[in-house]
Amino acid sequence: MAPHSESGKLEQVVSQFLLKSLHIILDSRIPSLHPRDPTCDSRVRKSDKWFNLVLGDRPAALDNLNFWHRNLMDPMIIDIILVQQGTAISTSVGNLLSGSPGRTATETVIERWLVQFESPPRGIASQPSEGSAASYKKTYKKSIIFLRSLYLQTRLLPAYRIFKQLSSSSQPFNFDIIYKVSSFSEPFSRVEEEMMKEYRFVPIEALPGRLHVSVTYRPQLSEFNLQPLTTMPPKIISDYVGSPATDPLRYFPSSYKGDRAISFPSKVMHSPTSVPFQRPHSWTSGFHRSPTVYRTSQMSYDSPSPPMERIQNHRRPLHQRAPFYDECQLSPPFSPSVSPSTPTYLRNSESPRQTRASSETAPVTIPSPISGRSSRYISPNFSDPSKLSLPPLSPRSTRLDNSSNESPSGMRLIKKPEASRADLGSAGQKVTFVVLKDNKDDSGRFSGLLSSSDSPRVGFSRSSSKLSFQDDIDDCDFSCPFDVDDVDPPDSRIRYFSSQNVDWKRNLESTSMGRKSQDAAVGVLVHMLRTAPPLRQDSSCYSSRSLRAEVENDGVATTASGFFMPRRTSDALEELRSYREMKDLLLSKSGTRVLTREPP
Amino acid sequence: MNCEVCQLKELEVEHFEIREVLRCILHTIVFHRALGLVRPKVIDLELFDITYVQCGDGELEKKIDEKIEQFISWVEKHPNKKSQVCISFYEVKNKHPSWFTNKTERLYWEQWYINLNVSQQQKVHSGKSHPSKIVVDPGGSTVDSAENSLEERSNRRAALESSLREVLFQIIKFVNEKKDHVPPISDGVVYFPYEITIPSSSDSAFGMDMIKRMLQTGHPTMLS
Repeated sequence: MAPHSESGKLEQVVSQFLLKSLHIILDSRIPSLHPRDPTCDSRVRKSDKWFNLVLGDRPAALDNLNFWHRNLMDPMIIDIILVQQGTAISTSVGNLLSGSPGRTATETVIERWLVQFESPPRGIASQPSEGSAASYKKTYKKSIIFLRSLYLQTRLLPAYRIFKQLSSSSQPFNFDIIYKVSSFSEPFSRVEEEMMKEYRFVPIEALPGRLHVSVTYRPQLSEFNLQPLTTMPPKIISDYVGSPATDPLRYFPSSYKGDRAISFPSKVMHSPTSVPFQRPHSWTSGFHRSPTVYRTSQMSYDSPSPPMERIQNHRRPLHQRAPFYDECQLSPPFSPSVSPSTPTYLRNSESPRQTRASSETAPVTIPSPISGRSSRYISPNFSDPSKLSLPPLSPRSTRLDNSSNESPSGMRLIKKPEASRADLGSAGQKVTFVVLKDNKDDSGRFSGLLSSSDSPRVGFSRSSSKLSFQDDIDDCDFSCPFDVDDVDPPDSRIRYFSSQNVDWKRNLESTSMGRKSQDAAVGVLVHMLRTAPPLRQDSSCYSSRSLRAEVENDGVATTASGFFMPRRTSDALEELRSYREMKDLLLSKSGTRVLTREPP
Repeated sequence: MNCEVCQLKELEVEHFEIREVLRCILHTIVFHRALGLVRPKVIDLELFDITYVQCGDGELEKKIDEKIEQFISWVEKHPNKKSQVCISFYEVKNKHPSWFTNKTERLYWEQWYINLNVSQQQKVHSGKSHPSKIVVDPGGSTVDSAENSLEERSNRRAALESSLREVLFQIIKFVNEKKDHVPPISDGVVYFPYEITIPSSSDSAFGMDMIKRMLQTGHPTMLS
């Protein structure tokens, strides 16, 4: 029998091999997990030293993949899934508000990686112990060579091209890439098998067993209509209450948090050609602080209203990753609880902040006070059109639920990097965050997931990042200094903001601002500007953000922590003072449109 | 120790493609043989839709580029010829000095032969018409000829890209199939000692280098 230390070392090599393989694969497939500029980080982490291959930060998901340590014999199956929107983007606000039907998202497994440590069956004599001392070293050396070839192989396969498309371009696309890690997966249908090729690496000796790695992949991706979405010029609805046309002094804050979880819609909304500072849409939220970054997968997008923002590729802040991953360990026997609606795929994490992320990208005009909508803000009224938060169950969501229920979870880790919100949810609420919708279909899915959880809305809000909700609450508390009495209790507000289709503008409108003067509106906007990217102490946070500005990844961690900054009365008083100053400043101007500018 | 030899698939390249093709292949091979701590650097080729990986070492990059430039110079002097670039990995062994041998001996444990068939073609986009392809026709057939040339070039480029991809897969397959001959990794050492050999100016025949190496058992000399 091999000495315990030797077998322990081999086990360690094998488990690190699994993690490293997963890291390599995800690093070249999921844009949000890929470091923006790997060369700028010269640190060599402990994980980098394994197999002498510096890959940078391990995604949080990998850090929580400890269940594989429990049983190294379980195969690790990594599905790379192409999610593609099938219908045209709706440009109608009404459609968006109501969750226009007809959007379908197709998911196709374009790659399936299988990494497995196979040990010989019991009864077969293992290698003599004297060889085991050197065997794990040989295994280690061979693993080093193998992982280098895996690193290259992942970049030669067709899926890498679309990964590059998503990573390198700031344009929104009509597709996204997600992944699923599990120890079990449904076999491909015959049709699918015929369309796929398999490549098997030479097994690596890891006495007494062997490490097997193979990939089944689609050699052609041209059949998928993968293309950038045409940027929709922002539509100005002239009769929209609070639009610049009606109230030039009112404007929407630009991406006021440094972390712009710039949603897909926002990106599309803010095309380079659009006039800066024009944000006629209410979902540009000043309350919305997305701690994470960006680069949503620019998938489906509805130009007028991003009910929810899809954080496809967002990079969740470090502190959020672990929780999320805990959420991901849903399937038994590795997770203590499983939500009945555990989604098969964790996609976009939903966050009301992200829904408003669109607002974070561009300076907007100051909206005029809204009179009629204040109630929406005050009391989460999910019956109004803005209840995109809970669109009706779509077949898709049902399907997902079914699939999640049917598939043996065994070791299912459904992970979508951007499901940052999901991570933060309570154990029972994981499901809800998984899918961030930005269109009907997603909302349907989301709603389905939500409905399957106990108290979806509240749960969602609770499970959402405390950052956002904390800030949302705080913002709500202080964003409208003149309507504090009219503001709903935090809970209700949270629920409202947790709705997927939070319409920031409506929120703003519904806050009794409608009843307030223009000055109040100005004050609110100023406040929002000032409270944008919480951690950024400099006023540059409020500077105009390009429509195509991308969230800085390096700002994520710092930004995220700012969400936890408590608000005090003194802060409110300071803000009030600033409102007055801003008010004076703005009033001194000639009633022209106030464009986004840096606060004094 | 056995010296494993890998003959890579022959590639038909044009003069201006040599640099990219050789960089891609040489760096890929070295990356798989740099078993020390490396920070991979992903490079997208400009001429082809291919991504390869370097070790991220500027000095290595410089050495490889120098060799490639030497090779290109050789090609310019020997146009339209098949040629080989060889990259060999060896171990340095001390040996008792004698009249005919050096103190140190190189034991080659792996050799890669990159086979190139360099063709010199007129650049269609340069605007100059190729005499063999232009048909003077008042009806404007010169445009057709140019279009045909462009199409041919495009097809040829696509074929080369496919072949280059095959070569990379060939490298991956080889490094995974044969691992036992790789020497142990020394602490602090990133790369195994290597040398890149290109045809010398005196060798214009195809395969001369290979024949010479075959005759020189375990002591291939640097020919360039």
